[in-house]
Amino acid sequence: MGVRNQQLDFAEFYRGAADECLRTVLVSVGDQDTAQELVDEAFARAWASWRDVSRHPAPKAWVVRTALNTGISRWRRRRREVPVPDLARVADLPAASGASASLVDPQVMAALARLPARQRQVVALRLVLDLDTARTAEVLGIAPGTVMAHLGRAMAALRHDLQPELQQESQS
Amino acid sequence: MNDNELSTAVRESVAGIHSATPVAQIISRGRAVRARRRIPRVAGALTVAAAGTALAVPMLVSSGHPGSHPARIQLDAWTVTKQANGDIDVTINQLRNPEGLQSALRADGLPVNLTFSDTTSNHIRVVQNASCRDYAAGPDVLNAVVHGGSYASGTILVIHPSALPSGVGLNIFVTPDTKYLTLVLSLVHTSRQCTG
Repeated sequence: MGVRNQQLDFAEFYRGAADECLRTVLVSVGDQDTAQELVDEAFARAWASWRDVSRHPAPKAWVVRTALNTGISRWRRRRREVPVPDLARVADLPAASGASASLVDPQVMAALARLPARQRQVVALRLVLDLDTARTAEVLGIAPGTVMAHLGRAMAALRHDLQPELQQESQS
Repeated sequence: MNDNELSTAVRESVAGIHSATPVAQIISRGRAVRARRRIPRVAGALTVAAAGTALAVPMLVSSGHPGSHPARIQLDAWTVTKQANGDIDVTINQLRNPEGLQSALRADGLPVNLTFSDTTSNHIRVVQNASCRDYAAGPDVLNAVVHGGSYASGTILVIHPSALPSGVGLNIFVTPDTKYLTLVLSLVHTSRQCTG
């Protein structure tokens, strides 16, 4: 494949996968700016290794795994120090407090933020990226049974957290 | 609430999120990734040539940027390469000679104010040139101008001078962290005292 074809191929992949990967990483890390930065870096790495990544059986999973493994906390985009996001606090922001906050469901994000990190990653990969158990296990480097256990606990916790909210919504 | 409803609620909670980064910006950033991957190979070549020959330094140019324009300025501590499309690639390995790096960047047409810090601290202490005035803009503007980051193998920046708004320059502050260099970037109004 020529360089130009490779670039077109990558561009097509990026356009089709960027939103889904961003949403997956957002659910995992809980902060949109952080998620965008991690996903951008992961896609840049995918471009740099596109010959290999394009042959990967699940390129989107490759991107998400790379994003989750990438630590970019040293990178400062602005002159202020960037604090590590407090997941619960970010997710509890009212929708009116910022443009990005209005794009997510604050109740669901708050419930997700209360999950342990590994459970949140499993939820992101299984429910948002729609990976099967085996692929999720491969991405996270854990056993398939562990994935199922994490998902089961996460679903129970989310149901407990969100049930009253949803019932209230349906009654009003 | 059954599992399907719960799954739908999670998916819909982020359905309004869309990536804001154009593919061209990702590809440009991918170039920086490739550049930083080349550094260990180049370092290996320099080790082999450690008998003291100065020729090891020009080798860095041809190894680091095949097919590109030759680097205008090349030092052990940092390199500056202007690409054919006007982009400027900067690699910083050591905090030395900031004035030289600043001059090289300005000579390549980038209005820039550059400072190296020699203090290691958990908190960044930004030394601002008093002549520089911040240019207020969202992070998208800054992201369009510069990509990069600090890595164990060096600090890479890819700068796109053409993305700078008129009358605006780049302020770069580089400080050592415990393991990496930390970059603090911002946009400033151009002036002779600040950006040359």
